[in-house]
Amino acid sequence: MFNLKIKKMRHNNFFLSTILFCLPFLAIAQSPVSGFMTPKGKGAVAVSYTSEKYSTVLLHPATSEVVPVFNEVQVTSASLFGTYGISDKFNVVVGLPYITAKGNATEGTLKALGYQNERKGVQDGSLFLKYNPYTWEMGENKINFIVAAGVKAPLGSYKVEEGLQSILAIGNRATNITGLAIAQFRSKSGFFASTQAGYSVRTGDVPNAVIGEIKTGYGASRFYVDAWYAGQISQGGVNVLGEGFKGVFPETDVTYNRFGVNVFVPLVKGFGISGAFTQYLNGRNVGKSTGFSGALIYSF
Amino acid sequence: MFNYKNIAMVMLAITLLFGTSCKKEDADVLPTIAAIAVTNNDFSTLEDAAVRGGVAVVLSNPNAGDPSGDFTVFAPNNAAFARLGLNKGDDLAALNTSFLTSTLLYHVSNGNLAGSGIAANGKSTSALGPNRRFITRGSDKFINGSKILATDVKAANGTVHVIDKVLLATGVDIVQSAIALKDSKVFAGPELSFLVEAVIYAELAGALTASPGSPSFTVFAPTDAAFKQLGIDLGVPLNVPADIRKLPKATVTAVLLNHVLNDTGKFTSEMNAGQVVPLGATPLTIGAYTNGVLTVQGKGNKIAANMVIPDVQTVNGIVHVIDRVLLP
Repeated sequence: MFNLKIKKMRHNNFFLSTILFCLPFLAIAQSPVSGFMTPKGKGAVAVSYTSEKYSTVLLHPATSEVVPVFNEVQVTSASLFGTYGISDKFNVVVGLPYITAKGNATEGTLKALGYQNERKGVQDGSLFLKYNPYTWEMGENKINFIVAAGVKAPLGSYKVEEGLQSILAIGNRATNITGLAIAQFRSKSGFFASTQAGYSVRTGDVPNAVIGEIKTGYGASRFYVDAWYAGQISQGGVNVLGEGFKGVFPETDVTYNRFGVNVFVPLVKGFGISGAFTQYLNGRNVGKSTGFSGALIYSF
Repeated sequence: MFNYKNIAMVMLAITLLFGTSCKKEDADVLPTIAAIAVTNNDFSTLEDAAVRGGVAVVLSNPNAGDPSGDFTVFAPNNAAFARLGLNKGDDLAALNTSFLTSTLLYHVSNGNLAGSGIAANGKSTSALGPNRRFITRGSDKFINGSKILATDVKAANGTVHVIDKVLLATGVDIVQSAIALKDSKVFAGPELSFLVEAVIYAELAGALTASPGSPSFTVFAPTDAAFKQLGIDLGVPLNVPADIRKLPKATVTAVLLNHVLNDTGKFTSEMNAGQVVPLGATPLTIGAYTNGVLTVQGKGNKIAANMVIPDVQTVNGIVHVIDRVLLP
């Protein structure tokens, strides 16, 4: 009986460890790493599809109910990502999205400005290393402390300085070096809560940023759900259409808070599917987008 | 060692810290003039015009051309653009882009001009160059023929006043203005082509061309459609501008002189119902001032003409484009 219980715990841990790390990738700009570690020799790969849409733009200090020029913007992304446990304490996480941003400018506007309603391409590849230096066991509960460092760099040839056309730019062409600290509490029952904070150094005109996330959820062998609240605080930058704005979007102060929900259901033979919802709540110089995503995940 | 409660408290503290630190201080930041146009639904056509005219980024920033760093913008609302048939952004394609840019600059001036500083008989130099005139009519204030609907909207880089008509200035004299319209330098298509042909045929170009000491006029300028309708009314087909020459020169001259008032040039805001005497000497009847425009009727007209584009400022007078030829 006791052994059985242990086995079940292990199963849960394996499930959580090898699959859930993927979920953060399901929504653009959510933290790339979670509080779950993948055991040595185990891993997962996933393919996801995300669709986000906005017409309201959070400018600063006012808000625009329509997107300038493009009226509304839909961003879809197909992403590949994976993780691997080099050891129980040391994981590698990679991701690569292909992004399509579509506007809804009128033909007349496009003709007058020489713009196009679509920008798409391979965006930024990311590689994060996660290290779990310590885990505090507290009876049947535990707290994981994790540090992570990663690089995200443009792999595609997308453009960012096309004036207002770049409202549809699929990224900001900066290379980011990000450091993160994560604390995660997990109970035997499957409940968990984590908090993380980090700093992202960005090249070129893109301001550095403080990033953070809090998350809570429940994971059992047949079902997983979490809810998170995350944000980015740009360390400087200009406001779109604010003083200092020269029509160069990478220079802008992109600050926001958003929340999301992920659900995951394992299927058979290591396969599982997940769904997610995300919503921007507030911020500046970002679209107030609502997004949905789904992913197919294979763990091994 | 590590205590469960302590760690929970630390996590809670981090969480709260994160939650509360995720908002930036928003102390007293004003939107820029460009941001006001973009975020106000009643300026959506102006926004499109500013983007197409290439002034959106300029109006996002301090005015480099003024020590104060500020602009004053008389901002036409959507209804103002709609008066010209410009109901949405795509309709702006009817305007030549360089004319659109010039027109926008005519709405802008350097420094802060407060609403309290707008007084009758005052003038303000536009970023385009020409002066705008301030006029009062009853309790209303006007810039040229445009009523000022709201004053002193504060922006980070200046002041915005809302107006009910787009300000139009050509920067050239009456004849050159008409030629610019004919040559599609104002609208994407030609306009006033028949009028230009008529002025040349009647040899009135000299009189309407600005020169030092020359007078300024109020001109009622019939559209091409108005001349075509005249042809139908007279039974002389006027299909192309050259067809004007089918009419006797003396008749054309008399008709044209019926469209010009030697009165220094009046905006609609300065015009009143009653009779006025044009150069042709047969009085014209001006209708009531209604919603910023007035009708005008020649003695030979059964129906009064409407102003389709009122208050176009030129170097030597004010042109009101009308939809009917005024017959003596």
